[in-house]
Amino acid sequence: MVIAALICFVALLIAWIVAPDEGPTSERSAPAFEPEMAPAA
Amino acid sequence: MPEINAGDTAWVLTSTALVMLMTPGLALFYGGLVRRKNVLSTIMHSFFILGLVSVTWVLWGYTLAFGPDTGMGLIGGLDWIALEGVTGEPSDVYATTVPHLAFMAFQMMFAIITPALITGAFAERKRFKAFVLFAVAWSTLVYAPIAHWVWSPDGWLFNLGVLDFAGGTVVHLSSGVAALVAALFIGRRAGLIEAATEPHDVPMTVLGAGLLWFGWFGFNAGSALGANGLAATAFVTTNTAAAMAAITWVTISWLHKGTPSVLGAAIGAVAGLVAITPAAGYVTPAAAILIGLGVGVVCYGAAQLRLRARVDDALDVFAVHGVGGAFGAVATGVFATVAVNAAGVDGLLAGNGGQVLTQLLAVGVVAAYSAVVTAGILFVINLVVAIRVPAPAEEAGLDLAQHGEIAYQP
Repeated sequence: MVIAALICFVALLIAWIVAPDEGPTSERSAPAFEPEMAPAA
Repeated sequence: MPEINAGDTAWVLTSTALVMLMTPGLALFYGGLVRRKNVLSTIMHSFFILGLVSVTWVLWGYTLAFGPDTGMGLIGGLDWIALEGVTGEPSDVYATTVPHLAFMAFQMMFAIITPALITGAFAERKRFKAFVLFAVAWSTLVYAPIAHWVWSPDGWLFNLGVLDFAGGTVVHLSSGVAALVAALFIGRRAGLIEAATEPHDVPMTVLGAGLLWFGWFGFNAGSALGANGLAATAFVTTNTAAAMAAITWVTISWLHKGTPSVLGAAIGAVAGLVAITPAAGYVTPAAAILIGLGVGVVCYGAAQLRLRARVDDALDVFAVHGVGGAFGAVATGVFATVAVNAAGVDGLLAGNGGQVLTQLLAVGVVAAYSAVVTAGILFVINLVVAIRVPAPAEEAGLDLAQHGEIAYQP
């Protein structure tokens, strides 16, 4: 059980590393970044 | 076999819930201080840590921090990995009148809020996945060893006689120094100008400070680990120091800048709570007034110096928690008295000047260890995942760029 729990956590850790991490204004996504989309600072 | 005491157990479990509430309170405290485009990401740091460290603490954090020592007073062994052997029966070592699981859960809440405190330093520019990896690594490599050194009966600082009732060094100094290192490592926010960094929601911050103050009764009075006179002492000293620091900070800012700042009252109260944390169960209420006064002055000065140094510790974590934690640790060595807590030791004013040196040693060691290991963690994570978000994402705000959500509709 302990080993299974540790493996589950490691799986999550790997998922966090490989998961995309940029939202709709990222440089890679289309449409290109538009500062006016952001709420007012 | 130790026996469970119902009153003690009820108080420790209640305190555990009180301390748990501090982390969402911290989320609001920090969330109000940032710009509106970063409020969700800032709140998310604290809220995600609530889940993340809850799991790592059960899996390996608790056994590393409080498990049977591996031999040199530096770290616990893996005897209690995934809480193996930690049951509803009392421990032979810790809080012997409450279930071991209750003590574990109480300590878990401390382990949760400590890395959450650091997040104020890199607010508005840290990549979320880098933050997640940092939180796991920091709580494992920095928090757990320091907790073992100071709070395990086999810990090397514990055996030197260091006094830290509820975490002045373990929680606040360690996180405050880490925050300074993180701020220097990640760099200043892009296009930083004073007008753009005004808190977007001061009532949110004041509400957060109120929840922190409320939860701190569990943090400090709960650290008596029993429903007894020591808990009452810690309760009163905690409230007294927070109150004195709040009114001191407001007074100083009033004289310095011409107006009695509401934000200053909130931050001052937190500074007072930080400083009384190591001392709460060792000093008198009168000493708590002096500690509150002193930390109000010292932390206000530290915040002003931080501004002049142009270090972008965005939410002044070092000035409040680092400086406040160090101040409180040393003040404990000055004001501690066995008249308050027979299990403690006398401090400078009771004729034991050596306790101040012991406290200074703990401050130096904890600060140095936290600084070095935090820098190492950040360096390694930056090789795997860039710690800082790209400039366009920073400009757009992390709520949208990192989480795909916004806090407030236009």
